[in-house]
Amino acid sequence: MAKQIYDVIVIGTGAGGGMAIKTLCEAGLKVCALNAGRRLDPEKDFRFHRMPWDMKFRGLGDPKGESFGYMDNEYTKAAWDHEIPFTVAPGTKWFWPRCSAVGGKTNFWGRSSARFGDIDFKAASLDGYDVDWPLTYAEIDPFYTRVEKMIGVASTVQNRPSNPDGTYLPPFNFRCLDYILELGCKKVGVPYLPDRCAQLTQPHEGHPACHYCGECTTGCDVGAFFSSPYFLLPKAEATKNLELRTNALAKNVLVDENGQAAGVAYIDRNTRQEVEVYGSAVVVAAGCVESSRIMLNSKSRHWPNGIANSSGQLGRNLCDHLYGESARGYLPQLLGQPSFPDHVADSTIAWMPRWQNLNNAHEEDFIRGYSVYPDGGCSEFPWFAHALDGFGSSFKREIKRRYPTPVTFGIQAPTLRSDKNFMDLDPEVKDPYGIPVARMHFEWDENTLKMWEHSKQVCADVLKAAGGELEALGDAPEIPGWSLHETGTCRMGNDPKSFVTNRFGQAHDVANLYVCDASVFLSCTDKTTTISILAFTLRTSEHLIENFRRGDHKAA
Amino acid sequence: MAGQGIHRREILRILGTAAAAATFPGFSKWGFACGHVGNAALQIKPAEYHPQFFSAAEYAMIERLSEIIIPSDQTPGAKEAGVAEFIDFMVSNDPERQYPFRTGLVWLNSHSERLHGKPFPELTPAQQLSVLEPLGFKGKARPGEELGRKFFSLMREYTVTGFYTSEIGFKELDNPALKFYSDSPECPHKGDTEHRHLPQPKS
Repeated sequence: MAKQIYDVIVIGTGAGGGMAIKTLCEAGLKVCALNAGRRLDPEKDFRFHRMPWDMKFRGLGDPKGESFGYMDNEYTKAAWDHEIPFTVAPGTKWFWPRCSAVGGKTNFWGRSSARFGDIDFKAASLDGYDVDWPLTYAEIDPFYTRVEKMIGVASTVQNRPSNPDGTYLPPFNFRCLDYILELGCKKVGVPYLPDRCAQLTQPHEGHPACHYCGECTTGCDVGAFFSSPYFLLPKAEATKNLELRTNALAKNVLVDENGQAAGVAYIDRNTRQEVEVYGSAVVVAAGCVESSRIMLNSKSRHWPNGIANSSGQLGRNLCDHLYGESARGYLPQLLGQPSFPDHVADSTIAWMPRWQNLNNAHEEDFIRGYSVYPDGGCSEFPWFAHALDGFGSSFKREIKRRYPTPVTFGIQAPTLRSDKNFMDLDPEVKDPYGIPVARMHFEWDENTLKMWEHSKQVCADVLKAAGGELEALGDAPEIPGWSLHETGTCRMGNDPKSFVTNRFGQAHDVANLYVCDASVFLSCTDKTTTISILAFTLRTSEHLIENFRRGDHKAA
Repeated sequence: MAGQGIHRREILRILGTAAAAATFPGFSKWGFACGHVGNAALQIKPAEYHPQFFSAAEYAMIERLSEIIIPSDQTPGAKEAGVAEFIDFMVSNDPERQYPFRTGLVWLNSHSERLHGKPFPELTPAQQLSVLEPLGFKGKARPGEELGRKFFSLMREYTVTGFYTSEIGFKELDNPALKFYSDSPECPHKGDTEHRHLPQPKS
C-alpha cells in the first residue's frame, strides 16, 4: 500500500494550530492535525458553574497535587499536561503549565485582545534597541479585522497611538470601581478605558452572548468567548478535509533526502508507539517553547542542530511578559455598599493601555512600555480578609463591609530581547517517551524591572487620586512563565542568517515548514498574544495556500 | 441565554455533586447535594462527621476556635458552615500543615494552663477570649507568644477559607457569583461617578 501523504500536517490545535487548520481545510487542502492531548468534553471536563463547595477541595486543589500556574487548578486539572516536564538552568525560575487538550490554552484564556501596532513593529527604529519587525501595521491590519469579525471583541474606538483600533462589539459596562478609578486616572494623566475583550456582549456569528457567570478561565459551556474548539475546529471539520489525531505527541519533523519537511513522527500516547505521518508541508503550532523543542529535536544529517536552524537562532531570543500586582488597596467610597457583580469578566473589563514613551521613545528611564489591568470589587472569594486584623463578630462584619471595595493593579510588561534568555534541549533529562525536554534560561532584564518599579508608583498615585486607600505596593513580580505569553524562539525576519522564519512565518531553510504561534514574534509588546497569533497565522496560512497554488508544495 | 445557563448549572450541579459525593468521607455539613438541589432522591443524608486527621479532643478545639473566629451572630457562622470539617479534611490531605496544626493546639493548651491552670477547652468562654485576643489582635500582642500568634493566624486563614467557600459564606456576602446576568452589569450610580454621595449602608 502506498503511504498516505496529506497536504499539510499541523502540530497543535490552539489559537495558531486551530486557525491554520480552519484556513487550510476551507481552502480545500487535506490536513492531518496532531494534538498532544485529548478532546475535552465540555459537559464532563469543564467544571465551571460548580460552586467551590461542590468541589472536593473547594476549587483550591489537592494540597498534595502539583499546579504549574493560576489556570492549572481544580476546575481545569484534566486539561493540563503534567506528564511532560521541563527543566531550568541554574539561576532560572520558570513557572509554567502546558495545556495539551484540544484547543490548548484557548479553552481558558484571559480574552484580552489588543492589536499590535507600528509602535511595536518599528520599536527598534524609534528607540534603537534590537531590530524592526519585517512587516508594517498596514500589512497585518486587514487580518486583524477579519479575525475580530470571526471571534468578536468587545471594546471601543480609542484613538490611542499605541493601540490601533479595530471593529468592536459593544464594550462591557463600567462598574462602580471603574468610574472611580477612571477619575483617579484623569487626575494623574493616564488612560483608563474599556479593554479589548474577546467575550461576546451580544450574539455573534452564530455564537451566543455571554451569560456573565464570571467563570471564563474554567472554560465556557456555550462558547461565548473565542476558543479554538468552538470557533475554528468545527468549521474545519465541516469541510471533511481534516483528520484530527488526539493523544498524538509530536516528537520531530521528518525530512526527505533534500532536508525538506516530509511529515511528523509522533508518539501515540495510548499505545506508547511511535507513528509517522506524511505531508507535503508541515505547520508547527505547538506553542512557542514546545514548537521550538520539536524543531530542535528534529535532528538529521541536513539539520544537525535542529530543523531550519542554520541561523542558530532556534530557541533563542525568548521574551515573556512580567506579571505582578503593582499595587493593592481599597475604595472607601464603596464600604458597606450592596454587593455587585464585579467579577463577570475578571480583569478584562478595563485596562490602562500603554501611556509611556509615546511622544518620544526616551521619555522614561526605560524604553518601550507596559499596560496595566485594574481589577477588584466583589470577587468570588474575599482574599483581602486574610490581611484584616482580629476575629469574631467585628471581623465578620468588617469582611462584609469591605467586600465591594478591594482594588488591584496588574502589570503586563514586555522583556527586551536578550542573549541570556532562551530555551534549549536538556542534554540529560528526557520525558517519559524518551524525548529530550526543554530547558529554560531566563531572567528579568533591567528595563523590564524599571517598568515594574514605575508601575508601582503610578498605580499608587492613581489609587490615591481616586480617593482610595493604598494597602501595599507589589513586593516582587510573578515568576517568569506565569503570564503564558512566551514569544520569540523562531523569530521572523528577512535575513536567513539572523532569523528562523521569513516575514510570513515560513522557515528560511525549509520552504515547506511554517511556524504558527507566538514564537515568530520579535518581542511580546505590552499587549497579549492570542489575537496576534490568530492574525499572523491567518496571513501565514494564506501564504501557504498561495504556495500550494503556485506549485511550490506538491498537492496530495 | 442566561435562562438556559441557569438550567444547565443546576444539571451540572446535580450530576457533579452526586458523582463526587460517592467518593467522600461522609460530610455532615458541606453537603454536596445540599439545599440548592431540590431533588430529594439525590440528597445525601447528613452523616455524623468522623475526623480524618484530628483526634476527637483536637477536633473539638478546631470547632471551638473556628466558631470564635467567625461566630454565629445575626447570621450563620463557621459552625453552620461546617468549617471544622473543611479544616480537618484539608489538613488530612496536606502533610505540610499537620505538624503546625497539631503543635499549635498543644501550645494553646499548655499556654492556657500557664495562664489559667487549665487546658483551653476547660476555660470559660471569657477566659478563652482573653487567651486568644493577644494572638488575634495586633494591638494586643504580647511578647513571648509568637508561636501562638503564628498558629492563630494559620487557624484564622483556614477558617476564613472554609467559611467563604461554603454556600453559607457566599450568602453571607450576597456573593454575586450566585447569579447569572443577562447584560453586562453596570454601575447603578451614573449621576455620581465619584461615588461620594452613595446611600448610607445599613449598619
